[in-house]
Amino acid sequence: MRILVLAYKDLLQILKDWKSGLFLLVMPILFTLFFGFIFGGSSNSKPEVDPRLPVGVINRDGGSLASSLEKLLEDSEVIRPVVLDGQEAEQVNQMVEDGDLAAVVTIPNGYTTQLLADQPLMLEVLVTTSQPAGQTTSRAIETVTGRLLGAVEAAHIAINAVESRNGPMDAPVRQPILEDNLAQAISAWEEPALTVVVEKATGEALQDPEAISLSGFAQASSGMMVQFSIFGLITSAMVLVLERKSGTLQRLMSSPIRQMEVIAGHVVAMFLVIFTQQLILVLLGQFVFGVNYLRQPFAILLMIATLALWAASLGLLISAISRKEDQVITLSLIAMFIFAALGGAWFPLEVAGKAFAAIGHMLPTAWAMDGFQNILMRGLGFQSVLMPAGILLAYALGFFGVAIWRFRFE
Amino acid sequence: MRIMDVAFKDLKRVFRSPFALIMMFGAPLLLAGLLYFAFGGLARGGGSFNLARTRVVIANLDETNSVTGSFKAGEMLITFLQDEGLVDLVEITMAPDETSARSAVDQQQADVALIIPSNFTRAALTPEQEASVLLYQDPTLTIGPGIVKDLVNHFMDGFSGAKISARVTNAAIQKNGATADPSLAEWAAGQYAAYLESSSHAAALHVVSPSGESVQGVSSLAMIEPIMAGMLVFFVFFMGANGAESIIHEDEEGTLARLFTTPASALMILAGKFLGVFVTLVIQAAVLLAASSLIFHIAWGKPLPVSLAILGLIVAATGFGVMLMSMIKSTRQTGPILGGVLTITGMLGGLMTNGIPNIPEVMDKVALTMPQGWALQALKLSLAGGSAQAVILSTLVLVALGILFFVIGLTLFRRRFIS
Repeated sequence: MRILVLAYKDLLQILKDWKSGLFLLVMPILFTLFFGFIFGGSSNSKPEVDPRLPVGVINRDGGSLASSLEKLLEDSEVIRPVVLDGQEAEQVNQMVEDGDLAAVVTIPNGYTTQLLADQPLMLEVLVTTSQPAGQTTSRAIETVTGRLLGAVEAAHIAINAVESRNGPMDAPVRQPILEDNLAQAISAWEEPALTVVVEKATGEALQDPEAISLSGFAQASSGMMVQFSIFGLITSAMVLVLERKSGTLQRLMSSPIRQMEVIAGHVVAMFLVIFTQQLILVLLGQFVFGVNYLRQPFAILLMIATLALWAASLGLLISAISRKEDQVITLSLIAMFIFAALGGAWFPLEVAGKAFAAIGHMLPTAWAMDGFQNILMRGLGFQSVLMPAGILLAYALGFFGVAIWRFRFE
Repeated sequence: MRIMDVAFKDLKRVFRSPFALIMMFGAPLLLAGLLYFAFGGLARGGGSFNLARTRVVIANLDETNSVTGSFKAGEMLITFLQDEGLVDLVEITMAPDETSARSAVDQQQADVALIIPSNFTRAALTPEQEASVLLYQDPTLTIGPGIVKDLVNHFMDGFSGAKISARVTNAAIQKNGATADPSLAEWAAGQYAAYLESSSHAAALHVVSPSGESVQGVSSLAMIEPIMAGMLVFFVFFMGANGAESIIHEDEEGTLARLFTTPASALMILAGKFLGVFVTLVIQAAVLLAASSLIFHIAWGKPLPVSLAILGLIVAATGFGVMLMSMIKSTRQTGPILGGVLTITGMLGGLMTNGIPNIPEVMDKVALTMPQGWALQALKLSLAGGSAQAVILSTLVLVALGILFFVIGLTLFRRRFIS
């Protein structure tokens, strides 16, 4: 009972502080909006704007094969050509660096003539290959170029076959046949005989694939929930530090309450604060950002409960080792940055390096993200969150143990 | 002289505080290093990749018959994916059927399931047949499945190209009055296969980075520059506010009131405190520039443009810090000011998303509504090798904003402590 009284006192103290609202709700909502917008907005369906990566094309050739290349680029599922005029062509470096264009392809003068003469000129591709979009673009351009070169080769093979039967032809006779062969080959690449079809796994939501959230908000909403479960601790942990600083903790010891009850009271308050924060963010995610948390309500409930438990144990640890208010802020900020960045709350761990992804998965935040994504993006069921929730619980116990060991009442 | 004494005292206080030292130097370098470590995995010198291997489970349903003979396109695709050259990219396992392969992805035992259809070989050999290979992928992944798709497409383009070659050859023979015999298509496909073996599509491209270097020379270092610039701006602004907090501290501890009883005028005392903040930021910026050059080999640009960018940053950060602190009443309120306001304005200023490709254009405009956005722009211009003329506009805006913030802060402080 005393634990609940203490927790209630902490809750009143936290809720009366306007800063709590800022850290617990305002900031995570703003950040979710911000990152959700950046990572692709809210639409699960096909967007109205062309989602393909824009690739600038500078055509210095003007020949038939340059036009064919532009057509093949237009047919790509990955990239869309943007023809650049002379003025724009002078600013291509800046456009690629700023991300306005994923790459720029320059078709050199004489490209068509040289290619038909079997002495191909190289296309110049300006691209930042250290970024995922640059790598994807580079590979797509390579595929398209391969198809164009293949079409030229097919045209040559065909004309060789004609000549082997009808005898050698003069250039004026040969050229139109070659061009006709080429047109057929390029046109055939519009619908190649062998294709790849991509299907995204929908897990148990197979009957209703619409229930899966693949928008930018699915990553942003769950990521910011994880990040701000830590940042939200600032006001909660501050209460304990101020109690220690003002001697309130010591005075409490002169009352019949036991030390463990005091600690438990504070932990319960922290848990309730974070749990409520997560619950509100889940509802906002569901009804404002269109992220389908309620597809598996019990699984989500388990995830936010274990996440809140771990966050509360981290809050206790921060308040146990902080002597002053500014130390609470520093430790909360550093914990938030490290746990959020390494755990994949800012960006999927897939895009990080091998070692980084492995280290990231040693942190509870990475497991929290896994649990949320199993429900939101992979379409899995309740069972899929048991392992992430179990690991979060184990971390909570570990952090709690260290916090108790380091806790001082004076 | 008294101004210098006050500034010196504040400097001693800042540089003796482990908290201040961590936030000044430790946190920006640690975070930049962390993100560098994260994204550095994407590209290494030579353009090779250091991504985790994509786990691919294959269900080969391909069937052969008397027409296709011993030719097995499905097995050829598997052999291609198991090639030693791809061992760092993909990890191949086999599944007996489509259901097991899909289940492996659903259970997260594989990242991608590759289902080769039963008519794969027939489609590869027969003119009018078509086939689609199914890639069933974990929806949370993008890069790994993208690589697998590229590899499979590359392989299948060989077959498709050979079929196109056969079709075009047949059509050309018929159009030109010669007789097409059954061996002609086989011959054309064979010629095309020989061409594929002897050519490289990559060799048809000359890939260069925006800096003009050939791609082989590009390393992940390029990514650390904007990240470090973002961290530098964020933590200089943080220390600007943190330094100005000493006025509130002294007010609460009663030492400020005692200082006002000395012959030093109140204005001098405040000026000394602001000078202390300014010098702190100069030292912080200089150390971070030098440390990041040594650790991450960042070339910040020519001396004059980078000095202008840093000058603008420090003036704006000092003014911003003074203004923020003038608006709060006690040190208990500094938490939300330092943590909240600076994080939000930094986010809007583009510090958190700096380096992320394909960000909506509107975000660049939003960034320039914040002083942090202008500071970041100045540093990026300097990093890109821009001249002093390129940086001067950002610097002037930053200095103007800094002075404006400073005047607002000073007015509020004077009202509070002097009048």
